[in-house]
Amino acid sequence: MSILLLVPLLMRAQNLKDFEKRVTEFTLGNGMHFIVLERHDAPVVAFHSFVDVGTVDDPSGEHSMAHMFEHMIGKGTTTVGTKNWPEEQKALAEVETAYDKLDDERWKGNKAGPAKVQQLETKLKEAIDKANSYVEPNAYIRVIDENGAAGFNASTSPDSTSYFYSLPSNRIELWFLMQSEWFRRPVFREFYKERDVVREERRMRVESDPQGKLQELLQATAFMAEPYRDLIGWASNIENLRAKDAERFFRKYYTPGNITIAIVGDVDPAQAKRFADKYYSSIPAGPPPPPMITVEPPQDGEKRALLDSDSQPLLAIAYKRPNQTDKDDPVFDVINAILSSGRTGLLYKELVTEKKLALEAESAATVPSGKYPNLFQFFSVPAPDHNIEENEKTIYGILDRLKTEKVDPATLERVKTKLRASLIHQLDSNSGLASQLAFYHVEYGDWRTLFTGMDLINKVTADDVQRVVRQYFVDSGRTVAYTHVPVPPNVKTNDGKGVAK
Amino acid sequence: MRMFNWSDFSRALMPVLFAGVLLGQIAPATYKPPSYKDLKYPVLREVKIPDIPAYQLPNGIKLYLLENHELPLVSGFALVRTGSLFDPPDKTGLAQITGSVMRTGGTKTKTGEQIDVQVENLAASVESGIGLTNGRVSFNCLRENTDEVMAVFREVLTAPQFRQEKLDLLKGQLRGAIARRNDDAPGIAGREFNDIVYGRNTPYGREMEYTDLDHIQRSDLVNFYQRYYFPANTVIAIQGDFLAADMKAKVEALFAGWNDKQAPVPAFPQVKGAPSPGIYLATKNDITQTFFEIGQLGGVFRDKNYPALEVMADILGGGFSSRLFRRVRTELGYAYNIGASWGANFDHPGIFRIGGSTKSANTLDAIKAAEEEVARIRTSEVTGQELATAKETALNSFVFNFDNPSKTLARVVTYEYYGYPKDFIFQFQKNIQNVTKADILAAAKEYIKPEQFTVVAVGKPQDFGKPLTTLGKVTPIDLTIPEPVKAAAQSNTANLAKGKALLGRVQQAVGGADKLAAVKDVTETADVDLQTGQGAMKAKQVNQSLLPGQFRQTQELPFGKVIAYSDGATGWLQTPQGQMPMPDTVIQQVQMEIFRQIFSLLLSDRDSGRTVNAVGENKIEISDKNGHQVTVELDPSSSLPIKQLYQSSGNPVQETFSDWKVVDGIKLPFRIAIEQGGKKFADVTVRDWKLNTGLKPEDLSKKP
Repeated sequence: MSILLLVPLLMRAQNLKDFEKRVTEFTLGNGMHFIVLERHDAPVVAFHSFVDVGTVDDPSGEHSMAHMFEHMIGKGTTTVGTKNWPEEQKALAEVETAYDKLDDERWKGNKAGPAKVQQLETKLKEAIDKANSYVEPNAYIRVIDENGAAGFNASTSPDSTSYFYSLPSNRIELWFLMQSEWFRRPVFREFYKERDVVREERRMRVESDPQGKLQELLQATAFMAEPYRDLIGWASNIENLRAKDAERFFRKYYTPGNITIAIVGDVDPAQAKRFADKYYSSIPAGPPPPPMITVEPPQDGEKRALLDSDSQPLLAIAYKRPNQTDKDDPVFDVINAILSSGRTGLLYKELVTEKKLALEAESAATVPSGKYPNLFQFFSVPAPDHNIEENEKTIYGILDRLKTEKVDPATLERVKTKLRASLIHQLDSNSGLASQLAFYHVEYGDWRTLFTGMDLINKVTADDVQRVVRQYFVDSGRTVAYTHVPVPPNVKTNDGKGVAK
Repeated sequence: MRMFNWSDFSRALMPVLFAGVLLGQIAPATYKPPSYKDLKYPVLREVKIPDIPAYQLPNGIKLYLLENHELPLVSGFALVRTGSLFDPPDKTGLAQITGSVMRTGGTKTKTGEQIDVQVENLAASVESGIGLTNGRVSFNCLRENTDEVMAVFREVLTAPQFRQEKLDLLKGQLRGAIARRNDDAPGIAGREFNDIVYGRNTPYGREMEYTDLDHIQRSDLVNFYQRYYFPANTVIAIQGDFLAADMKAKVEALFAGWNDKQAPVPAFPQVKGAPSPGIYLATKNDITQTFFEIGQLGGVFRDKNYPALEVMADILGGGFSSRLFRRVRTELGYAYNIGASWGANFDHPGIFRIGGSTKSANTLDAIKAAEEEVARIRTSEVTGQELATAKETALNSFVFNFDNPSKTLARVVTYEYYGYPKDFIFQFQKNIQNVTKADILAAAKEYIKPEQFTVVAVGKPQDFGKPLTTLGKVTPIDLTIPEPVKAAAQSNTANLAKGKALLGRVQQAVGGADKLAAVKDVTETADVDLQTGQGAMKAKQVNQSLLPGQFRQTQELPFGKVIAYSDGATGWLQTPQGQMPMPDTVIQQVQMEIFRQIFSLLLSDRDSGRTVNAVGENKIEISDKNGHQVTVELDPSSSLPIKQLYQSSGNPVQETFSDWKVVDGIKLPFRIAIEQGGKKFADVTVRDWKLNTGLKPEDLSKKP
């Protein structure tokens, strides 16, 4: 066993030394940070722009604002995506004016004049149509596509927003130009149509998916105050998002000092530095964005939530845990691997194969994200003829065992080996590496943590596992959410009777 | 309110910007970016395309090796010519199950669990599976563990044991998957669309049902495996941190003892072009979006028009800058998901499909917008810019086909497996550059046939705004999952004849078939003692039936009144909390109740859609094509139908009938005891049965 352990350990050291030789880091005068990793195997380069703003920063009443930016990347800039920027700019300002007038009237509530509202709605629609007439459809994405980009996309998490794609390595200047123009001055054209698209995304991911609904309920129940309570934004908030508020949000959070760029692939760092200076250094610096200050009050007892759903039963259980920089963070990763990794994970073994109570049973160590105190979550899909209660009890039984018995050395060693190996597998793709380097730089202060974090995992002992399970997997920190087939109280039909006895 | 002004912003931040300049940053006072059109790019340096030698081993295995020393890893796979297309029609799922239990069921020397622990201790993996047109056993590991992990790989591939307990476990899991298959709305749309376009009764469009699982036994797995897994039918490809010569010797030694022989595997069944175009609707009332799929059969990669069709589909719906994305998402804001693809496969036609989802109220408009875009691409040429973009995109992104050597290995093996030329990808690239606007229009006209489109919508029709019938005739899709049939009776001629005779005895006992046939409507008033999970409860019920298929129930319970109505396809519930559409799960139960309605049940021999089968001296099993099934037990002396046994929501239910009295010449039970899952559920005392009171459809369907 101990020999097994040594091999991946050595590899870690080699990887870090090897990577350090190939990484170049620099920060521009305006605070924007670049990490460049050379990998010359193939003539391609991956770019990952990581902005330290996420849905936790959504202003009150503007949930999904951070998410809207992910959708606005394709809308272009003042130079790409427009037929006539000066005219379009005026037209966009008129849209906002018309929208303000409509809101002023609408928000009068009972005192609003329906005819006036209708008239102002028409005016708004006309203003939007006019602004749209200046749009060069799809131009921004088309330019990037034509240059052979692969994997163009963006994503929003509770803690961050990312924009990424890869290019053939002879065309890297295009990325510097296009992305810097957007970070300098994105144009929120077609904002209100894109808002409808985000509303559709909510319908698809949450309202039409029992698992999405359950997850939303779980987070909203577990967190009273912390913004992690919000899964994708409430419908009413999405429907009222405004472009002028997006401008304000951009000014506050999209400052160069809040943006980290990782570039991985067939790239010359000196050239990358020259392009960075040329295209990014004139973006004005800004004050550091305000931190998210809301702290979840202590939980004083188990919370339970029930979701009426025609679907087959689903169960979610979550325990409060500290954030990713806590000293116990690696212990939670190890616990998660003990519970959920592969076919030897305790949940799969006991619930799925041995007792056959579940079709799927798994855990996740950091839900929905890690920057702030978050959740260690269980999810189970009960098998036919078995119910939520049996699944719930069995999961508690497994946790009780982890509290009373120490995890055996073979299991502990196995999960550590697997965690190390999964790191090595991650090193195989440019885009995956770019995303990891940027993430570790921002969230842990140094990209090297990607490697050194393994040392912390390695130090986790059976005592640590027992201590952390005892401390955090307690009833008073627990939230349970599950589905239930809605039957009106007096039509007992879950067995086929009642409706027609 | 005025918009945020950019020039104010810059002024406010001048001092900071100035500091940047002092630090030596290049920050021209008036920064003016070049246009992307003015950028000049150097020539892309040449891509290294690895050379992949192929070897034929003495036992017939074909071996491909690729050295890749970048990371200390080794991975590989065996590709076997088999597939779920070879599933016997009454054992759909056999290939999938065989592929999975090859790994979980262990080998001659190790159980599945022992393999789990062994490979996971090494942070390695060995997996097996069978898809539509191939079987695959794969492994990956750290370089140091290559020998140990490849030994397991060899055992799984050549000596699987298919232990019974793992087959049982998987069958249980698949039963669960069947029970849950209607919880996922986009899944329903994709599945039903695929099955209709390929044909439900073909190897390409058949779904696994509970009965298939009942039929599949361990011996089927063993036979399936033996038929297809032999060296001459196997290709092995390995890549990673090794020397090719060493690896070749290793593989040769490892598989030297594998010499099974079988007749060559026949060609896969052909796709039979038997489309049943039209508009199909699957009702799902618990979602706020409609998921839709529109399309027809596609083609294969080697079609000479494939490059033109690929460009056509790309312009129509291939990505963020496609027409459908622009129209349905960007301009209309109707959808998050919208796209199209020309479905091509290596060896059989894929499916040309347009898929998306939109809020219920926009269903018709979104489908129409998509169909209009199809019409447009069939009637006028694409623009020069669209074609140029497509070509530029293909040309410039070509390098990503070679950015990882493993992609080349996968391609070489796949081309070999499906008999494509080694340089197919380069031919394709050349052909794309030669496609003209006229080619695209011609291909769209020739291949895309809107009159043959299948449209599948999954959603809540009452929220559609405009009915789907605006588009044409709508065929409903029945999502009912046929209940698992326990020990399905053999319906041979003798049993059928005996079943008919037994049913005749029952008809006689209750008063005669003609008396039963004369019943057009029924009103039953009853007192019910319920044992629910929440305790005991009393109810008064009035059940009205208009035979054969309409049903209304009024219940009075301690908390208030509940009325339920269904015509067998849709329905509603009126409860103290208000009115709501009848949930699908309740509709399924009502369908079972209608099927079991005593008057029609006892006349099942007159219904050609039903099978009446003797399953014992005094037992009849009655079933229909929708998977409903009930066993009726006769009292040996009186021949009265004293028991019914059936499944509801996966639970066994038993009803016992007694206190028979004559009503209008028919003997009817006045006491009914119901057990569910072996536990008492309800006692029913019928106050009276009223027959033929002249109920009209609207008497039942009218809302309170």
